Amino acid sequence: MRRISFWIATFVLCWVAANWAHGAELRIPQNATAGQSLTIGAGAGGTLYLVGPGQVIKRKVQGGEDVQISGDELRNAGRWIAIVRGGGGDQSQVFWVRPGKAENVNFLARPSRVPVNKPGVISGVAFVFDKSQNLVIDPTKVNFSLSVGSAHAEHTATSSNGVAWVTSSSAPKAGAAQFVASLPDVQVRRVIEQVASDPCNLKMKVIQREKGKVTVETDPVRDCTGNAVPDGTIVTFTQTDSTGRSVVDARIKKGIARAQLPAESNARISVASGVVLGNEIRLGGGQ
Amino acid sequence: MRLVRILILTIGIAVAISGGLPLAKRGLSVVRAAVGDSKPEVQLNVTNARPREVEESTQQSIIRDYGRAWQGMGTALANNQMGPLNENFTGFALDKLKQRVKDQQQNGLTTRVIDRGHKLDAVFYSQDGSAIEVRDTATVETQVLEGQTLIHSDEAQVHYYAVLTGAEDRWKVRVLESSEK
Repeated sequence: MRRISFWIATFVLCWVAANWAHGAELRIPQNATAGQSLTIGAGAGGTLYLVGPGQVIKRKVQGGEDVQISGDELRNAGRWIAIVRGGGGDQSQVFWVRPGKAENVNFLARPSRVPVNKPGVISGVAFVFDKSQNLVIDPTKVNFSLSVGSAHAEHTATSSNGVAWVTSSSAPKAGAAQFVASLPDVQVRRVIEQVASDPCNLKMKVIQREKGKVTVETDPVRDCTGNAVPDGTIVTFTQTDSTGRSVVDARIKKGIARAQLPAESNARISVASGVVLGNEIRLGGGQ
Repeated sequence: MRLVRILILTIGIAVAISGGLPLAKRGLSVVRAAVGDSKPEVQLNVTNARPREVEESTQQSIIRDYGRAWQGMGTALANNQMGPLNENFTGFALDKLKQRVKDQQQNGLTTRVIDRGHKLDAVFYSQDGSAIEVRDTATVETQVLEGQTLIHSDEAQVHYYAVLTGAEDRWKVRVLESSEK
């Protein structure tokens, strides 16, 4: 009987001691997520410090009491250190906080201005963040869409290491293209100005000839897909005759470039814009 | 008999050196970290960078500027100063580290980061060359002090994801996040 009592007493004592020791331990859940509340068993009590990548939280705690950290407080994902001072010695433990769900996109669209109908010239890069601006490392689907007028292109990319990207060709039609990166609950929009490309089929004609001057004018200047080349683009008229060369750089105004040159007989006038050559006119001998 | 004595003496000296050297090295690194003058060793692998290849000159700049950023962060956290952060960080990383320094100041804490080196793997380099992301395997010792009292110390290999973007004269760290994986 004495023996049984001895063993029961020993068992109870051990159980109480184990329980007390467990209560004095720093206990942190291993599945903490940024933006979600967290309960920490602060052991014997004292001052609790939570040292995170971008913040420090301090709490006074009573022995055996659990500490509740709200989601608003626990903002930063990464490696944290929990330290309890006092109440029977210092204790510390490293724990991890995972990023929350993807809710924000940091979207870089390049370039801001691009010629139409060029392959692979537009790039979109989306960095995926949670609501507290932690980079979401887990693969996330990001939808990219590029639209100008009725032309619309869409592409879905899965992020890797927090980043998703696409390259896209510019549309054949000029105008402000809407480039959008989106997650299920968020959309970020950028505007890419798609402008006419180099002129195509550059043509000029003589519109006036009087008092030793000749006025030449281009047809409406357009690129190869029919977009009007923007006003201000330089068109160069060159006249070559027996006295030498005359060059006039004229800007396109209302879609047309015009220049006045000396009316020398047997002169040759040519037109060009950038690397594109247009037609040639011969004066005094027909075209 | 004399031979045995010499042998014992030699073993004793060897044991003292083997124990003393790492201790002295550790002490030196703590002192260095405290004054913030230790520039960490940084290695960069660019074979996994996509969609653009990382140019040689960019590789050198990343190694230099990422090292500087860690040095600056070490100084900032050890002395609760904002200055070294402004020079090397921008965006979310800057906001978060500034908040950490502010909170440390408020609670009377400082952190010594004893940096034992970084192995960087470039995982993304933007088409226009304006942003790069690296995965860093860093070996760091972290010491948290309350006033002058050391209240936590650990040494670990930690994985970081860092996004750097080009600034006026250097690359600045825009995102710096540690991850368990």
